[in-house]
Amino acid sequence: MKFLTRINRNYLILFSAVLMAVTVADYFVLHLVIMHGAREKLIAREILVRQHILNTGEIPNLHPEVEVSESSGEPANVPLFREVTVFNPVENENEMYLEYSDIININDTWYSVKLRQALLENEDLILILALTIFILLSAAFIVSYFITRKTNTTVWADFEHNLHEIESFRLNQVSKINLVGSDTEEFMRLNRVISDLTEKLSSDYRALKEFTENASHEIQTPLTAALMNLEEILQDNLQEETFRKVTATIRSLKRLSSLNQSLILLTKIENRQFEPDTMVSLLETAKKKAEEFSAFIETGELKLKISNEGDFTVSMNSQLAEILIGNLLSNAINHNIKGGEINLSVNTGCFEICNTGQPNQLSDDTIFDRFTKGTLGSSGLGLAIARKICEIHSLDIHYRKSEFHCFYIQHKS
Amino acid sequence: MKVLIIEDEVDLLIAISNFLTKEGFVCELAENFFKAGEKLAIYEYDIILLDISLPDGNGLKLLDPVREFQKLAGVIIISARDSIDDKIRGLDLGADDYMTKPFHLSELNSRIKALLRRKQFDGTDTVTFNEITVGTSGRSVSVNGVPVILTRKEYDLLLYFIVNRERVLTKEAIAEHLWEDNIDMADNFDFIYTHLNNIRKKIRLAGGTDYIKTIYGTGYKFSDR
Repeated sequence: MKFLTRINRNYLILFSAVLMAVTVADYFVLHLVIMHGAREKLIAREILVRQHILNTGEIPNLHPEVEVSESSGEPANVPLFREVTVFNPVENENEMYLEYSDIININDTWYSVKLRQALLENEDLILILALTIFILLSAAFIVSYFITRKTNTTVWADFEHNLHEIESFRLNQVSKINLVGSDTEEFMRLNRVISDLTEKLSSDYRALKEFTENASHEIQTPLTAALMNLEEILQDNLQEETFRKVTATIRSLKRLSSLNQSLILLTKIENRQFEPDTMVSLLETAKKKAEEFSAFIETGELKLKISNEGDFTVSMNSQLAEILIGNLLSNAINHNIKGGEINLSVNTGCFEICNTGQPNQLSDDTIFDRFTKGTLGSSGLGLAIARKICEIHSLDIHYRKSEFHCFYIQHKS
Repeated sequence: MKVLIIEDEVDLLIAISNFLTKEGFVCELAENFFKAGEKLAIYEYDIILLDISLPDGNGLKLLDPVREFQKLAGVIIISARDSIDDKIRGLDLGADDYMTKPFHLSELNSRIKALLRRKQFDGTDTVTFNEITVGTSGRSVSVNGVPVILTRKEYDLLLYFIVNRERVLTKEAIAEHLWEDNIDMADNFDFIYTHLNNIRKKIRLAGGTDYIKTIYGTGYKFSDR
């Protein structure tokens, strides 16, 4: 849920509750006040009636509001307020009244006085008042809701923009992260922290990138010069022993060079210098690599079988995908036995490559480690690179030993 | 044929120029960006070898004067960086080929010759060695006029041998020529024998001589001596 939605929702719930409570309380308070007023009015009216009788000797009678009659008895249980229903002949219906009954003594005569005040009007008034307040408050709330929302969008607009900026931030892009300034203190602090962090990240990234490029250049160039000179020495008519020494030296230098390249590749992958650029079909990549390696497969008299139910696709850098599959396939070829098998099976959730081969002491824990080698003179980096590629693409790669040596790739659960 | 070699590592510069001189090229050397820029503006070259990591500038920037002054020249970038991006950028800017260090001199030779054929500097697209004739535009091979059908790899291998005639070639160099990037997987080079034997068989069948000599079991030489 969005930040503002959450605030607005809380605001709405809280306000509704308060509004209900205020309206109900308001109703009761008004009720009390008005009833109190009605009572006072009736008592005041009684004084008027008394005055009237004293002055004129006439007994007023205004049904249903004023009823006075001579009473025979002593006063008891008076004065008394109660609510009564009286038939109103004018409106031809029963109405609720607040009745004040009293027995008063005027010039030694006892009068029973019943004064009434219609309740219905009061009740209506209370309702109208309560409703008015309800409407006013609601209107105020709605207006303030929209005002807050409007200000919120303006206040948070920069934040939204910056958030978007951070989301689209890529280490390998040249441009710096472009945060919009804000006069809100918290946002300013946030911006400062983010700017510092991304700058640090970028400079680390650049430093490592430069290092890998320079390391590659600085090491490969003299190696190339050495190899070329050795190649030229080979052209002289050499004794067999010398010739073998030179070719052995060439081989060692080549190993050194490819080792350096592999280590640099590993560093580049770790530094995430390869952006995912496409949806890669591992099945298609495997078919392509199998085609490229066909000469090696034929030489080993290997039987390659590719079976699939659906395809395993993953968003990754196509170059890395080829390296990954290439390394696994060449591993399966190089550590095979003459006339052995390679079985490649692909489905939507798993890519598996199995090959026959000599038994080894390696396990899932150790086989991917750098410089863990089988019997052949490989660099021991191919599987480490494969694992690193899987790692940065949220893939799991494992090794399983049974009749076959199997490597399988799955999406990280 | 005039070649300009732009490379900041002097040992490499000398090794390449010695080799190319032996192959009959006239070599000029430039060990930095400035000197290279000067030479490009003054002289004319058929082939330019360009290292892109120079101490005083990015070699890719030299492709501008190349386009301006050396319209006919073929450009081969030699770089220690094997990143696809660099490769694509270099080719986009007008280079004809891209080689990643380390490379073999025989490989450089075969790339230069291919480039010259493509540019038609030699005036012909055929390569001949005694009775063997290779038509590079149609990828055809004939022995004394008798056509020989070779697979793609066999053809590549034969052409590589003929272009680098009288040179000792190691199995590594051959494998690298045939499989470029995938070569790191090849711990044994048995697959080369298969191709070599097929070529020998097919040439002999067409009445040709087997010129492929084995040197101490680890190298080969295409020679009629």
